[in-house]
Formats: sequence, C-alpha cells, structure tokens
Amino acid sequence: MSHSGSSQSFADEVKAIPGGEFVELCFSCGTCVSKCMIQQKLEPEYNPRRLLRMVIMDMKEDAFDSPTTWLCSACDLCYPACPQQIHISGVITAVKEIAVEQGGKTTLKTAAVDQQTCVSCGLCAEACPYEAISLVQTKVPYRGLVQVAQVDPGKCMACGLCSAVCRSTSIGVPDDYTDKALMENLWDWLQPEGVTF
Amino acid sequence: METKPKIALFQCQWCLYSEPDQYWVDHNLPPSIRLMKVSCTGRINTLHILNAIQGGADGVMISGCRPEKCHFKEGNLSALRQHEEFLNLLDYIGYERDRVRFVWLDLQDRGRIQQELADFENKLQELSTANTLATRINAPEGEVHV
Amino acid sequence: MVDAARQPRIDVRTYTEVEKVEGFVGNFKVTLREKAKHVLADRCNGCGDCAKVCPVEVPNYFEMNLAPRKAAYVPMSQSVPLIYNIDLDACIHCYKCVEACGPLEAIDFSQEDKLVEEDIGAIIVATGFSHFDPSVMEEYGYSRYPNVITSMEMERLNNSAGPTAGNLIRPSDHKNPKRLAFINCVGSRDKRYNPSCSNFCCMYSIKNAVLLKQMNPDVDITIYYMDIRTPSKGYEEFYDRARELGIHFTQGRPSMITEDKETHNLFVHSEDITLGKVIEEEYDMVMLNQAAIPQPDQDHMSSVLNVAQSPGGWFMEYHPKLRPMDSPTDGIFFAGACQGPKDIPSSVAQGSAAASRASRILNSEKWEIEPTVAVVWPERCSATTRGRACGICAKACPYGAINIFSPEIPAEVVTAKCHGCGACVAECPEDAITQLHYTDAQILAQMRALLADKPEEKILAFRCHWCSYGGADLAGTSHFEYTANERGMRVMCSARMDTDFIYEAYRLGAGAVLYSGCHPQDCHYITGQLIGAKRAERLKKMFERMEMTDGRFRVEWISAAEGDKYARVLNEMQTVLDNMDKDELRAEIERLKPDMEKRLKKFPNVPGVSESMAYSDTLVSAINTQKKEPA
Repeated sequence: MSHSGSSQSFADEVKAIPGGEFVELCFSCGTCVSKCMIQQKLEPEYNPRRLLRMVIMDMKEDAFDSPTTWLCSACDLCYPACPQQIHISGVITAVKEIAVEQGGKTTLKTAAVDQQTCVSCGLCAEACPYEAISLVQTKVPYRGLVQVAQVDPGKCMACGLCSAVCRSTSIGVPDDYTDKALMENLWDWLQPEGVTF
Repeated sequence: METKPKIALFQCQWCLYSEPDQYWVDHNLPPSIRLMKVSCTGRINTLHILNAIQGGADGVMISGCRPEKCHFKEGNLSALRQHEEFLNLLDYIGYERDRVRFVWLDLQDRGRIQQELADFENKLQELSTANTLATRINAPEGEVHV
Repeated sequence: MVDAARQPRIDVRTYTEVEKVEGFVGNFKVTLREKAKHVLADRCNGCGDCAKVCPVEVPNYFEMNLAPRKAAYVPMSQSVPLIYNIDLDACIHCYKCVEACGPLEAIDFSQEDKLVEEDIGAIIVATGFSHFDPSVMEEYGYSRYPNVITSMEMERLNNSAGPTAGNLIRPSDHKNPKRLAFINCVGSRDKRYNPSCSNFCCMYSIKNAVLLKQMNPDVDITIYYMDIRTPSKGYEEFYDRARELGIHFTQGRPSMITEDKETHNLFVHSEDITLGKVIEEEYDMVMLNQAAIPQPDQDHMSSVLNVAQSPGGWFMEYHPKLRPMDSPTDGIFFAGACQGPKDIPSSVAQGSAAASRASRILNSEKWEIEPTVAVVWPERCSATTRGRACGICAKACPYGAINIFSPEIPAEVVTAKCHGCGACVAECPEDAITQLHYTDAQILAQMRALLADKPEEKILAFRCHWCSYGGADLAGTSHFEYTANERGMRVMCSARMDTDFIYEAYRLGAGAVLYSGCHPQDCHYITGQLIGAKRAERLKKMFERMEMTDGRFRVEWISAAEGDKYARVLNEMQTVLDNMDKDELRAEIERLKPDMEKRLKKFPNVPGVSESMAYSDTLVSAINTQKKEPA
C-alpha cells in the first residue's frame, strides 16, 4: 500500500473515467458483495467492496491483480442495491480500462474465431452484449484478404452468446461449455439408437 | 407402470438458485432429468434443443435469470427472443410447443425449481397419454452430425 | 401526561388540528378545528361500555394494525383525557353504544367539527416524526414474508400491554421465535430513500435486543449494522452490555432476505465485512429498523405556521448550533423530532429549552426586536401612485412580514415580524420602503465619503453583516495581507445591496465593486441570500453587455470562517486593476458614466437622498481642499 504524494492518485485516475466518479462515496457496507453472483458461483475471492477500497487507498498493483477487476460482467445486480448509488460496475470497468492500458491481461478464456470458416455475416457482433466483436479485413491463410470477425479480449466476458447465433459454427468460447461437450452430455444420457461419435 | 418422462434441463450457470436448490439440482436430480449447464441461456443454440428432442427427450426446460438480472446484460432476453421463434418453428413442424418450457427463476424463489419440474413432468405425462407423439423423428441410420 | 392534564394551567386539546395561524410574536391568532368525537367530553367518564357493545372491528392503528379495535374507541388505554371517540367511517349506526351509555347520555351523533379561535402568545411545535415504509424495498420482502416485521411492530409484540401481552410470537405460526435478526438502517443512510442517518436506531435496536435477551435468554439475536453509532453518555456502555449478554453484531448490510415457502423461515444474505465472506443465515423472524422520516403532512404544517423546511423535509431551526429550538419566525419554537430525528433525552432537552424560550415571551410586557426594521412610505407605494400594489416586497420577504390586503391599500410591514434583512427595500421598484439605520441616504453618504479621493483606485466591498463582514474581520485579526485599496461597506444582508448602490459606485468612478454575502445554505435571513444572488446575476449580465472589464464587478459568497478567501478575492481584484492601463480604466469609467446616470434618474427622488448627496458633496469637497492645502 502506498500513499504516494503524487499529484494524481489512483482514485483520481479512476474518477476521471466516466462511470468511476463516485467511487469515494463508498462506506463499505458490503451490499454489493452479497448481491454478487460471481462471488457465490465462481470465485470466493471476488469482492467489489474490496476493489473499491483498493481504489480509494491507492493500491494500484493489488487492484490490477484482483480477480474482481477481470471477472465483473457488468450485470449490475449491485447497482440498484447500493445505498450510496455508486455505479460499481462502472468503477470496475474504469479500473479494467486503466489496467488494459498499462498492459494487464484478462484471466478469462475469451471467445475465439475460426478464421477459415467465418463468413463475416455479423450476427455475432450484433449479439455481443459487450460490443467486443468487430468485423475486420485481415489476411487469412488459404483465403487471402477477407473480412472476418475479431474479438477484443479486453472486452469479451466469455458469455458464449456469439456461438449461439453463429450459423457456421466458427466462433465460440473454447474449453467451457462447447457444443461438443454439451451434446456428449446429452447423448450420454439419452443413448439414442444408431448414434455414434 | 408408466415411465417418467425424460427432461433435459438447461440451466444457466449464473442462475440465481438458492444454495440448497443448487445442491439438489447438482447432486440429487432423478435419472429421468438431466442437467446441462450453460454459461448463459443466450448460449443455447436452437440446435441443442432440437437435438435433445431428436435424441428422445420428452421435454426440454430452460431456466434462466430474470430479465434485469442477467449476468451478461441481455443474454436472457436474446434467449427469450430466440426461444419464441423456436416455438413457432415447433408449431410449424407439428410438434407440441408445451414440450419446451422457458422459466425465469430468482434467488428469492426458494424451492421453485422442484415445483416447476414437477409441474412440467405432469404436463408431459398428460401429453404422452394424449398420444400425440407421432411426429417424433427417429434418429436416422448411421452418424448424426453433432 | 396525566400530570400535564391535571395541571390547571395546561389545556390539553386532543383530536384537534391547527387550521390557520395569523399575527406575530405574542399576538398570534390561531384557528383550531376541534374534530367531532361524537362523544360529549364533559359527560364521558371513560367507562368503556360503548366499546364493549360495539359490534364493529377495524385494525388498530396504535397496535400497528396487529390487533382490532372497535368503532367506539380510545386510541390507547393510557389516553389523556380518557374520552371515547366514535369512528364514523367504520360505524354502522346500530346505536348500541347509545343504549349502553344509558343515563350518562354522552354520545351525540349530531356533533360536528368546531372551529375555535384562540389568542396565543407563543407556539411550540412538537409534531414528531413518521416511519419509513419498508415495503418499497423489494429485497427485504416486508409485507410479502409474514415473519419480516418492522421495529414498531416488534415494539407492540414485545409490550406487555400489546396485543400478545408481551409474548413475542412470529406472525406466520404464532410460535416463539428462537433466532432473531435485526437489520439497521432500513431506508436511512440510503441515497435511494433517505440519505440521512436516523440518529436513534442503533441504540433502539440494541435496547430491543437487550430487552428480549433478558426476558428469554435462550433467544439468539443478531444485529446487522453498517456502523454502530453510540455517541452519548452511557450509550457505549450499554452497547458493551449487549455484547456481554451474547447478542451478536454483524457488520454488513444485508442485500436480501429469502424465505422458505414451507417453514416461513427467513434467510438473510449479507457480507460479514470483518471476515470478508458472504454469509447466509437462517432466522425465525427478522426485524427491520426503519428510518425516521418527517410527518406526511409536514409540508402542510410548514405552510400553516410559515416556517421553512430543511432539505430532508424537517422543520428548519433558526441556527443549527446556537438556536436549535427556535424557528426563524419569532414566537414559534420546536421540540423533538419535528425538527430532525432525535432520541428521548435530546427531545426532552429541546422541549424544556423551547418551553423556557416561550416563557420569556409570555412573561414580558414588551418584546424587543432588532431596530433595523423596514418602513413603508405609503405615498410612494404603487398602490397610491398607480392604484395597484405590485406586491414585489411581499414576495421578497422571507418572513411573510409584509401584508398587502388589497391592491389599493399600500403595503404594510408587520414590524414585529420584520427581521431587518432589507430585501424588500432593495427590491421595491418605487423606492417606497426604507430600512431604519440603513437608509439609502445613509449608505449613500458612506459610499461618497469612501470614494471621495481617487475613486478609480478603490475597491468598494459590500459585505453582509453575518458572514462576509465576519470573513473580513477574520482576515484582519489573522493578519492576512490584502490590498489597502479595499473600502468596506456593511449592510445587513446581500439582499439589501440595492442595484442603485452599485450604479452609484460606478458613477462616482469606483475601480471595482465586490458583492459578497453568505453561502446559500448559511443565510441568516432564510432566503435573503437567494434574493441577493439573483440580483447579482442580473447585474453581472448587464455589466457584461455594457462591456465592462471582467473582474471589476465580482460576486463572491464568503463565510465568517473564510478570512483567507476574503483576502484572496480582494488581492485578485487588485491584480485586475493593476493589470489595467490607468487611462484605459478612466476612459472606461467615463464611457459607462452616462449609462449609470440614466439608471439612477429616479434615485435622487428618494426621501433624504438628494439632501444626503448635497451634504456629502460639500463634505467631500472640504476633505479634498483640506488635503490639497496642508496646514
């Protein structure tokens, strides 16, 4: 922890980004933490209250290392419950932006595009709630200069909505909840006749 | 003795179940019900549901978070949109739309998932006795593309 | 209460509302509406036979609707005076009560509301507070889950005179709860509902917990809190005792309560901040400590009494530290929570203070007020000159001290109500009002003397008496250095700083003018600063249009504690003047002079002003000649 006498503290940096303005109003009541689903379902170390505290106390490095910075999906369950009306996901997004600027990398497995099969229809870009997908011109082996979808790993939250809408099965989150895993689970249970893998 | 209908339960990973409910869903589900966790209800491709039906499931239940409580901003709304279109498709191909059910559950709905599943089971029983399963497509010979 | 009712010089009027308050300190005329009880007060002996036979049952408001009452009822068994009341909204007119009353003949269905006018010397307002309704907080499920109750309901359930005779049961199955959770700050310290702290709830929930624990030691009680605030004497010790008794305290604001559908047990979700862990605990019953909020008809009362409200809706006191029991209107005082949430000791202290304040008025033959009151020249008022009173003064007065009875009759100042801010004086477009000791002529004479010599070098600073004058004083006593060219002018309030004074200052050739007063929320005269600020904005825009150099007219709000700010502002103004070329400045002053003269055309007609101008002219010339010819 450092109380640096520098002109711009970490809290000032966060406050300068739209969404992070009211971080210093937090009086640590813990409502956001008990509202949070990530904390309950995925990562017990996840704690928005503590991240806000880190911002206020100028603990930049700890904030960047915290899973809270990277896992918040901006579902905003905590925002309507906050008695100080702090837009908590806005603060976390601001911290993440600063972290990405300074070379931080997300710990999530973000969506990947199969450039060989992508037809650049743009359905995934439309479906993405985080505006992480864009269509770009790029050189692809065997295909030449074509337009394909590209995922911004700084924005992607690995929800998989893109793979649900993709008609050419060229985008998806690898490892977690793949089509193959889902179907194997289903077939294992149903054991339909004549189906083999 | 009639067998219990087979239900494929797609559950959103973030679904706001209370702890005991989640434990029951994870560990004590009857064999006639299969849990399939997805990252979000919006992640469910219509093909998944079709495949489940095709494979022999009697019903499909999709449980997600309430509209304003989606973990991914608007994933469940996108799922609902797709789901409604999918029901139209079911009507079109002549399959009972009641065999696919979409529910929204909240942490405050303690114990409702059991209730919903029981309800759904009864509904499916009714449908089977009506014997309108003629439209069931048998899996073709050879490989099924998954 | 019984003692108060027995005291011959105390007249208790229950079931009575204040309709209208007129007059001023020592001479209020109050109209009261004595509501019809349908029971004759002088005949009812409070035996309760009418209630026994009454067949109608409605929810009892006093028992938080946990118990029924009859249509013939007393609000509570300890009511003073003990006179029954018939609730005509519920009554089915079976007249069994008339029969039961028998020879007493106390019941009179023909009774109607009565309007009574009383001469009152002083008024003490003690209307108390109301409770926040937690059913709007969806997450706590109050009114959806039977076992979530409010603190007031707990109070009744726990009371030996209450509906359960003190046996604490939970509403769903009437069993005694074993595990209890109290949640503090429900609706208070919450920007969504009431941002302020309700003051007494921490102690209140600890009190309830200790009481319950003493009666049933095997009950398990957890208090969820954000901060425990025990600031008064003995409070912290009480908190310690609660901990010794084994009451659990969990820091963390619960985010939600869920319910088991079958057992109706409740699950409280919160983060235990000290552990940094989310916990979900099961309870039989949960009590919500709801916020204290102003009475629902506080706005109405405030307009009836003509007293202002603070931002939260509570009645506003004269001064938060020095006069917390006085209202800004003389002769009206506050006691208890109507002025802001407070606990019993503070309410009693404030009540006694208010009573002693009121007795000062009641026991004096004459009542002294500030001498700087406003006076109207009736012959100059637009009601006389044009036959139509404009009413601007009445609108400006923060105290409602100016009466305009009809458009033909000149405005009238109720001297006893006037506090001497001078807002009406400066606002009057006809210059028909003056303020004693701060007349236009007096202020003008001062200004002329201050700007007699080399006015273009001078900075004329208008300061309000209560704040910026104090700020200047502090700057002086603290030896903050600021420009020697400053010339201070004191008026009572920034609302008194007439546009004519500013024009006159520039006409006389002043280099710069400062317009200063209190910060908006600190004004000594309720809304005086707002009137001054509005006028200053108007002036600022006008001078901008005239293309006056930026910084020659400055508006600043400086409190009595901001001596450094006063010094800084004046130094900045001095820099503006220093940065200007002297000839340029003189040229600008000359350029603007005709404009200022045009605006001041009517000013010499104000009584005393032309005489003051002539007299000060001779004085000024005498000063100047004296200076030129040193002895």
